[in-house]
Amino acid sequence: MQAKAIAKPSRQQEIWQDRVFNVVVLALVIIILAITLYPLYLVLICSISDATLVTTGQVTLYPKGITMLGYNSVMENKEIWRSYANSIFYTVGGTVLSLIVTMGAAFTLSRKFPGKRLISFLFAFTMFFNGGMIPTFLTVRDVGLYNSPWVCVLMGCVSVWNVMLARTYISTNIPEALYEAANLDGASQIQYFLQIVLPLSGTIVGVLAVYYGVAKWNDYWTGLIYLNKRELLPLQTILKEILASLESSRELLMSMASDSAENDAELLNRAQIAKYCIIVVSTVPAVALYLCMQKFFVKGVMIGSVKG
Amino acid sequence: MKKWLQSVVDNRWLYLLILPALLYLIIFNYMPMYGVQIAFKNYKAVRGIAGSDWVGLKHFQTFFSAYYCGRLISNTLLLNVLSLLFSFPIPIALSVIINNIRNQRLKKFTQTAVYIPHFISTVVLAGIMYILLSPTNGIINHAIVALGGKSIYFMNEADWFRPIYIISGIWQSAGWNSILYIAALAGVDPELYEAATIDGASKWQKVLYIDLPHLIPTATMMLILNCGSLLSSSTEKALLLQTGGNMATSDIIGTYVYNMGLGSGQFSYTAAINLFVNVINFIMVVSANTISSRMKGETLF
Repeated sequence: MQAKAIAKPSRQQEIWQDRVFNVVVLALVIIILAITLYPLYLVLICSISDATLVTTGQVTLYPKGITMLGYNSVMENKEIWRSYANSIFYTVGGTVLSLIVTMGAAFTLSRKFPGKRLISFLFAFTMFFNGGMIPTFLTVRDVGLYNSPWVCVLMGCVSVWNVMLARTYISTNIPEALYEAANLDGASQIQYFLQIVLPLSGTIVGVLAVYYGVAKWNDYWTGLIYLNKRELLPLQTILKEILASLESSRELLMSMASDSAENDAELLNRAQIAKYCIIVVSTVPAVALYLCMQKFFVKGVMIGSVKG
Repeated sequence: MKKWLQSVVDNRWLYLLILPALLYLIIFNYMPMYGVQIAFKNYKAVRGIAGSDWVGLKHFQTFFSAYYCGRLISNTLLLNVLSLLFSFPIPIALSVIINNIRNQRLKKFTQTAVYIPHFISTVVLAGIMYILLSPTNGIINHAIVALGGKSIYFMNEADWFRPIYIISGIWQSAGWNSILYIAALAGVDPELYEAATIDGASKWQKVLYIDLPHLIPTATMMLILNCGSLLSSSTEKALLLQTGGNMATSDIIGTYVYNMGLGSGQFSYTAAINLFVNVINFIMVVSANTISSRMKGETLF
């Protein structure tokens, strides 16, 4: 207790520069928070505001003319829900598969065995060189994955970086003595992996689950390149058409706003609002996952920085 | 030899566990590397990768003599260099600021908040840009008009592509990239601060003489590693922000390969362009890594 009291200077002892410093830090923090959060907040309040008020720029600090019309038109859009369901399937399937494959490889690479140097090299080399977009596309087509939903599950299910992360975790956190003990008890390597290593790897599995899960959920590229059938597209690829172009698929949005609107201008406004709602609906899962599991994240990056 | 074989048999489970990952790499990484040969061929779908005719360096010659070759390379380099220049210092500053927040709850909250944009997809990020910067109903242009200015068609002007790309990139990743630096600061021996306090150092002096020097090794490493990928384009994002009006600056190697290769079916030609970039990248990344691991070795002592 006393040591603490000595180490921490009392308020009177602070020199005036430090007070200025604290004020400046606080001001900067407020600015940083505003820059980070305001765009998100704006999207949120616009998504529940009256369409005309939003498009004329009158909604800036709080929602005006609260309405759920935007969300209703998103709900009614079958294409969005179908792609939403696709994305859930790709994300869950892809993440589970990624975890199994990654943990298996990481465990193996944490042990000693003949040929380890060659296999490690084969893994590491892919971080430095790749065939490029076109040869990869042709290969995927040749192995019959073009236009197959499995391409979205398989693509990216081995991130060499994540394998290294997990390997570092296993070799630094699980004592070699455990292996020797298991070995003495007659456990095979696979039993050791399943019954000892995996149960002790909760943290890294959590980290990887979120890394892979968020990457899968946010991936529009795989769908854009390898899928041609509309009914297979994941949410983000559909969103590319709706959100990220100048025309922004006017017709598509108009069709979802349908019926009740009085005129064209009103329709277009409603379509604009629907965009805000789509952003909210598509972003919430990834951000929620992050907020629920944020403790894991910082740990994950720390593990990475140990080995770098 | 017999011993070696015995060891292979003993470790059979290990091979089984790594097999799926190895198969993945063979199919999605090594087979495309074999397919790179189409850069030297005239690829015909009916004849396949191996069966198409060799044309030597023809595609490379076409590319280097094309009028847009210089524009593509300089657009790619400029975008990456400017992006690195402006984005690099921000996570460092951010980590120092966060490290100096005295209220622990505010500190935690700020950290949580600045990481959020990292989890937003590129598509949504681009979508937010299109909405906020819309010439008719975007909030930015409403503000410009209200202040007496003229509405700007941001997304369709070549001059605005790079600022939009860079600023949105900073918004999305500065927080996340600060984690490494925050970790480095957390590793600073508290006794150093105590000693500095006894010597009468102000907080600003502590930042200058304790915090920043502790960040230099991490920062140098990050800088070198980033320099290794100056020619690798983040095609996925550039493609989303590319419009008919900003092609003069947004046309980078990656988007060109996508548009001409997958869009117009010029497989061999674009594979050649891609290969040229990948080889340069490979050299740069490997040298960057060699330099950084040498430096790491030194900073350990």
